[in-house]
Amino acid sequence: MQSASIDIAVKPAIKPGLRLMLLPLVILAGMGLSVEAGLLGPLGVQVGHLWATLSIFGVGSAILFLLLLFSGRQKGPAFGELPRWQLIGGFLGPMYVVVLTLATPHIGIAMTMIAILSGQVGKSVLIDHFGWFGATRKKVNFERWLALLLIVAALVLIARG
Amino acid sequence: MMNLIILLAVVVAAGAVLSVQAAINGRLGETVGVLRSSLLTFVVGAVSTGLLILFFEPAHAVSLLDVPKWQLSGALFGVVYMMVMVGAVPRVGAAVATVAVIVGQLGMGMLIDNFGWLGNPAIELSGSRILAMVCLGLALVFMYRSSTRQA
Repeated sequence: MQSASIDIAVKPAIKPGLRLMLLPLVILAGMGLSVEAGLLGPLGVQVGHLWATLSIFGVGSAILFLLLLFSGRQKGPAFGELPRWQLIGGFLGPMYVVVLTLATPHIGIAMTMIAILSGQVGKSVLIDHFGWFGATRKKVNFERWLALLLIVAALVLIARG
Repeated sequence: MMNLIILLAVVVAAGAVLSVQAAINGRLGETVGVLRSSLLTFVVGAVSTGLLILFFEPAHAVSLLDVPKWQLSGALFGVVYMMVMVGAVPRVGAAVATVAVIVGQLGMGMLIDNFGWLGNPAIELSGSRILAMVCLGLALVFMYRSSTRQA
């Protein structure tokens, strides 16, 4: 399984032209995430943060259910056969969305995204460096520390306004 | 100021939580497929949020059914994002795709903030905000370089 995931991650682009066409699409998808966050903040203020969160997960569940229903038989084991801990990802998503609705009205969308990003990078650097959560302790190279430092600097700049 | 720092700390923590979730779901997606792993995430999310609402959410004058419908379209962007990434990541590579997403996120975020679109409070582009973006851009360059060297 480990090697399979690495294959996917580093598989090079087959055609440079296709790659160039895909990039604007990926950028647009990223823009969509900010639009989603931009919709959530005001919605949370109006109807409550948990209700706004429910709107995301409720609508998402409904759409995915329909997609799955019409896409036919799926391969892989049933959910009941999977290790339990792999199912807890679902509890973490709502935490993130609630925080989004709480934060965007106060610090804005761009700054919320930077803070989220620093949490993502910081977590991976620290886990690798200290070997937390049973991860194998890896040496974190100089460039990743520098990246983390720059992100913290960005956060300080936001906090100062 | 103090409140702002606490809020920032909470958002940073949410980012860490998000990357833990991504790691767990990535593993799940490999075994059961992206559609099923996403459905599981969304259903568990909806059910747990529903429980929290039932027991903890105070009553509000306005409900989800009263707001303009376009305000409920957020989930569509999330689902489209997921499908684009499923299609694009194997072709352009995870690192490039991640950087492209962040560029789109921050660019759009700045636009929404600056003009106060979608009913958000307008936050004008200041010198320190631009500087923060520059720092982040450099950080992405370093992360990209370190990831390509490891691969």
